[in-house]
Amino acid sequence: MSEKYFLKENMEKNVSDYDFSAFKKALKMGQNKVIKEIEDSGLKGRGGAGFPTGFKWKLASQQEADLKYFICNGDEGEPGTFKDRLLMEDSPVKVLEGIMIGAFAVGASQGYIYIRGEYAKPIKIFNKIIKEAKKEQVLGENIFGSDFSFEMKLIKGAGAYVCGDETSLINSIEGHRGISRIKPPYPIEKGLFDKPTVVNNVETLSCAAEIINQGSDTYNELGTENSRGTKLVCLSGDINEPGVYEVEFGSMTIREIIQEFGKGIKNNKELKFVIPGGISTSILSNDKIDIPYTYEDIEKAESSLGSGALIVVAKGHDLIDLMLNASRFYMDETCGTCFPCREGNRQVHHMLKKAMGKGIDHNKTELIKDIGKTIRLASRCGLGQSSLNFIGSVIDEYPNELLIGGVDNG
Amino acid sequence: MNSDKFLDRAHDIQDTYGYIPEGEIDKMAKEFDVPRAKVYGSIRFYSMFYTEPTGKYIIRVCDSLSCHINDSKSIVDSIKNYLGIDDGETTENKKFTLEVVECLGHCGEGPVMMVNDEMYTHVSKNMALDIIKDCT
Repeated sequence: MSEKYFLKENMEKNVSDYDFSAFKKALKMGQNKVIKEIEDSGLKGRGGAGFPTGFKWKLASQQEADLKYFICNGDEGEPGTFKDRLLMEDSPVKVLEGIMIGAFAVGASQGYIYIRGEYAKPIKIFNKIIKEAKKEQVLGENIFGSDFSFEMKLIKGAGAYVCGDETSLINSIEGHRGISRIKPPYPIEKGLFDKPTVVNNVETLSCAAEIINQGSDTYNELGTENSRGTKLVCLSGDINEPGVYEVEFGSMTIREIIQEFGKGIKNNKELKFVIPGGISTSILSNDKIDIPYTYEDIEKAESSLGSGALIVVAKGHDLIDLMLNASRFYMDETCGTCFPCREGNRQVHHMLKKAMGKGIDHNKTELIKDIGKTIRLASRCGLGQSSLNFIGSVIDEYPNELLIGGVDNG
Repeated sequence: MNSDKFLDRAHDIQDTYGYIPEGEIDKMAKEFDVPRAKVYGSIRFYSMFYTEPTGKYIIRVCDSLSCHINDSKSIVDSIKNYLGIDDGETTENKKFTLEVVECLGHCGEGPVMMVNDEMYTHVSKNMALDIIKDCT
């Protein structure tokens, strides 16, 4: 098996060397046809939530407003995820083209790309790209002689995972604390500065550009009915050849991705489990990974494809230590607005810290699961709702190992 | 000033002084026409902004899951040991601040660390100390 290049086609780093053929095509097609094309492609948001992109654009295009905003979300922070960084570093012009196509489709005249503050290199690259694009009149008034005018700014984040949530990101651009907003109203009605706003992930927009370029028919030939096209999979953890691999949905199982692209488990160890979509998703143990890599198959296995971060964990790790690590992440990164998320994650961290080296009994693990349920029900953003997926699934899968101290002897 | 310039402005101040001094918070409050408490509240939300002086070099070592699996803890421990400071602390000579941070987005190249804007991948204990010794 080799990688299926769809997104990794036409990677270009300079504005002046790029012909913007997909964007020019979009201008000719007109707004409605572009939206229809993206809807027909079945493209789902690649940031983690999987919301249908074409539908989002359609709703935004129907909004009546004097000003609309289009935001590219480059605040990639889910542990295990590094594919947006690859696109912003190696294929920034296509990301820009995706933003322009999206903005044109929904009728937005102002755009932002929000890149996390730690991504020094992508920030440097995009500053240059925007400057070049203005100089080459790819951004500005009446682009390529059309009626479409579009300006764009880069916002450098400042270290807050929760800003990957679209309403938190909007608050952050406005100079507020990056806390989520109550929905509805959704950003497509009332987002940035209370104007209709679309927020799309970097990979999603790169996909959109390539779908317009190659056509939704070509795209639809790839993947399965519910998981069309390809996905950038970020392989990391106990793996020989970690990296970002482009996988056609449904063409390989999770185990095949690990074996063929990742070249197996490091130090000839045995695989214990994988985290299929970043640490906000539930684990799949070794006996559950012979399933095709698709949204639907991973959901059937009671987890989620998430952002495409496939973290591979071999036998021999202290499970309580791994859970403690994940719990610290959510304790540090919760924005603190919703009480169950703020206090719940802190309490879970406390309990796990106490259990280090000693093991954790059934009453405590039940309490952790109960807290997880509460957070899921009572938090208003995805960070909270998914914060105990990983920990809860380890508890469900390995109750006996946790009892004796969380270290297996495999 | 339009509030979409807020983060940019705060970054500039942080880069100039190594932290955001009170006087600058007053200035920002005037520029953006918001109460000082609001400026302070926003700044304190973000981990890359500081309201106390930091070292000339801010060392950020990732300890999120993928790096953790690849033994980032040993990198953290050896830096702590060498500099004699704990997570979040600054050396007495104001040269180094150590931060154990969450995912830096180089999960396939772990363990990783950053010194100011520079990213280092596949870091070993010796390499980490060499990087620090090279900071002048």
